[in-house]
Amino acid sequence: MNDLHGIIFAYRSNPHLRELTQPRNTCSVPFGGRYRLVDFMLSNMVNAGITDIGIIVHESYQSLLDHVGSGKDWDLSRKHGGLRILPPFSFAEQNGEYHGVLQALSSVSSYLQKIRQDYVILAGGDLIVNLPVSDIFQHHLDSGADITAVCTRTPTGSDPRDTVYCTIGANGLITDAAVHPNQPEGCECLQVYILSKSLMMSLVEHSASHGVISFSRGVLQGMADTLRISPYIFQGYVARTHSVRQYFEKSMDLLNPAVRADLFNPQFPIRTKDQSNPSTYYGPEASAVNSLIADGCIIEGEVDHSILFRGVRVAKGAKVSHCVLMQSAYVGENSILSYVIGDKNVRIRSNRTLMGHSTYPLAIAKNTEI
Amino acid sequence: MKKECIAMLLAGGQGSRLYALTTHIAKPAVPFGGKYRIIDFPLSNCVNSGIDTVGVLTQYRPMELNSYVGNGQPWDLDRLDGGVHILPPYVSAGEQGTWYKGTANAIYQNMSFIELYDPDYVLILSGDHIYKMNYAEMLSHHKKEGAACTISVLEVTMEEATRFGIMNVDEHDTIYEFEEKPAHPKSNLASMGIYIFTWSKLRQYLMEDEADPRSSNDFGKNIIPAMLAAGEKMTAYRFSGYWKDVGTIDSLWDANMDLLSPSSSINLHDTDWPIYARPAGVPPQFMGETAKVSHSLVTGGSSICGSVENSVLFHSVTVEEGASIRYSILMPGAVVRAGATVEYAILAERAVVEAGARVGAPPGGDDWGIAVVAANVTVGAGCTVPPRAMLSEDLKKEGK
Repeated sequence: MNDLHGIIFAYRSNPHLRELTQPRNTCSVPFGGRYRLVDFMLSNMVNAGITDIGIIVHESYQSLLDHVGSGKDWDLSRKHGGLRILPPFSFAEQNGEYHGVLQALSSVSSYLQKIRQDYVILAGGDLIVNLPVSDIFQHHLDSGADITAVCTRTPTGSDPRDTVYCTIGANGLITDAAVHPNQPEGCECLQVYILSKSLMMSLVEHSASHGVISFSRGVLQGMADTLRISPYIFQGYVARTHSVRQYFEKSMDLLNPAVRADLFNPQFPIRTKDQSNPSTYYGPEASAVNSLIADGCIIEGEVDHSILFRGVRVAKGAKVSHCVLMQSAYVGENSILSYVIGDKNVRIRSNRTLMGHSTYPLAIAKNTEI
Repeated sequence: MKKECIAMLLAGGQGSRLYALTTHIAKPAVPFGGKYRIIDFPLSNCVNSGIDTVGVLTQYRPMELNSYVGNGQPWDLDRLDGGVHILPPYVSAGEQGTWYKGTANAIYQNMSFIELYDPDYVLILSGDHIYKMNYAEMLSHHKKEGAACTISVLEVTMEEATRFGIMNVDEHDTIYEFEEKPAHPKSNLASMGIYIFTWSKLRQYLMEDEADPRSSNDFGKNIIPAMLAAGEKMTAYRFSGYWKDVGTIDSLWDANMDLLSPSSSINLHDTDWPIYARPAGVPPQFMGETAKVSHSLVTGGSSICGSVENSVLFHSVTVEEGASIRYSILMPGAVVRAGATVEYAILAERAVVEAGARVGAPPGGDDWGIAVVAANVTVGAGCTVPPRAMLSEDLKKEGK
């Protein structure tokens, strides 16, 4: 499919993720044992045959740049097209981060003008989902809509005050939107949109001249009368992580085989940066149950109900339960961890006891030694 | 562009002693160690040693090997200048094309490739050994000694020496004699099949060898003896560390088991000398509620609900509840259904062991050996594959 161009928004840094977003923006938060959040949307687009993708960033994108590199792990390192990272072109008119999708788009308008495809898909880089982008595009072409908005009827569990809900009218089109209400109203909007390049350019122009910065307020609410906005109801698993607790819950969702089957469909693989890790070694006294464990780990203690990223080491006698341990975390001998999220390179020395709770998992910042 | 040293990797071997494991693939493409194929070891050694130009000489069943090596990206060998090149036999204009007649002939047929890089030295490697080695150190030994040829050697026991090509050396480790599998070895220095030649010398001996119709065009049988006879300076480079030929079912099984032994010196978790592989791109492994895994290597994409002990599991392996795996190697995509038992066995890619079946048995009896189930072969429910069996067709219970 070469008529669709991907744009991923990776400019948000969610303060509710606390320690997890100290060193990085939301899209490069590690998830699922070997991925970064942005891997899901990048792979969704690549799996639909999209060859040109721009990622709009604003700040703390060092970690994201390091992760995506030239894009070769997604086959996006191309002579023509491929992956582009788009930092703000000009700081003159901005102070602080982008406040909305339209504002972000208008700040990279010179890039947008050069898009060689007729259609664009706009999506956040922090959705955990395996979206059938080809089907959605076909739906868009078949429906003749001006804009297709991807929605779900299954609550993703995100805070309504941080979510957009769509009202679907009798004609099957979106007639209104509730932006950040106190209670969920109707269909949850995933804020993934397909529209023509020309419509996007005119929306960006309109937004710049009228000071409209938010797509949901400016377009879903403001233009529902004049544009045909068609919903695409996605039935599969989708998750967002707006808080540390939610990050923990969504991580634990992966221990459910149905969720894994949905997210990690071998026909539509989620790709990530390759690290050339060896297989994971389980020692003679190791025990690992109900856990998702990446390659390159050395497990000599006990692991239960946990997600272990690449290169994690659990020493003899250590007990890790209900934990998420990111890349190269180390748990020393006889240490006991429960409901802990250990960020990259966290080092827990021997004989330590760390307990969080399911309602308040203990997040330990990157590189901390305890 | 000129290169000081390039590598030529002999990957055309049929690997007939691996039987069912190499009916569809060349030996260097055989999976090894949970994540790798045999060829990853010499390729990674090259890159880690600073050699960025590698010719891979293929002949037997090259399709899978070709697509695995591809453009060399996983080894950082996708270069504009140099990089990895697959070199199959070819037909020149007006000539009769031939297969590679021997290891030396394979290099002879690719002299024009070597001369593209105008190298001072050529490193000759084979695709059937597991080891980590810094070829740069071997090259500096070669240069220091001013040798025409340096052969990497390993000290083995005198008993083992009868199974190897043995180098007899003087007090300066200069080789004066080469004996292939001697009944009464004079030395315990076994050739590892790794040679560095000064290219101008090798070129001359390859031309002479090719002109000799009685020659079998082999490095060990012809080139090395000819150079010794002519009085060329040949030196041994002593290597100490893990090295294993994995040309047989037993040695392949042994070498995989060595990865589980803390005392073996091959450590794949060592980040100073990484071994690279083409990634499978699979999600993390899942350990179910009933999983029991000890002293084993397990790889991404696998789902384990049974018990796994002293085994090496590659990516995307399934072990169902109640199944038991002991002292075995399960290659990518192998499936072991509920209640089945796999012991002292190798299951090749996508082999399936149905419920309640039994493959292999613990050592015992005169006719014992590792059981092998070939790629894509299914062992039917309740069937038994005895030790040392080589199953290359589906097995079904009689009367079903």
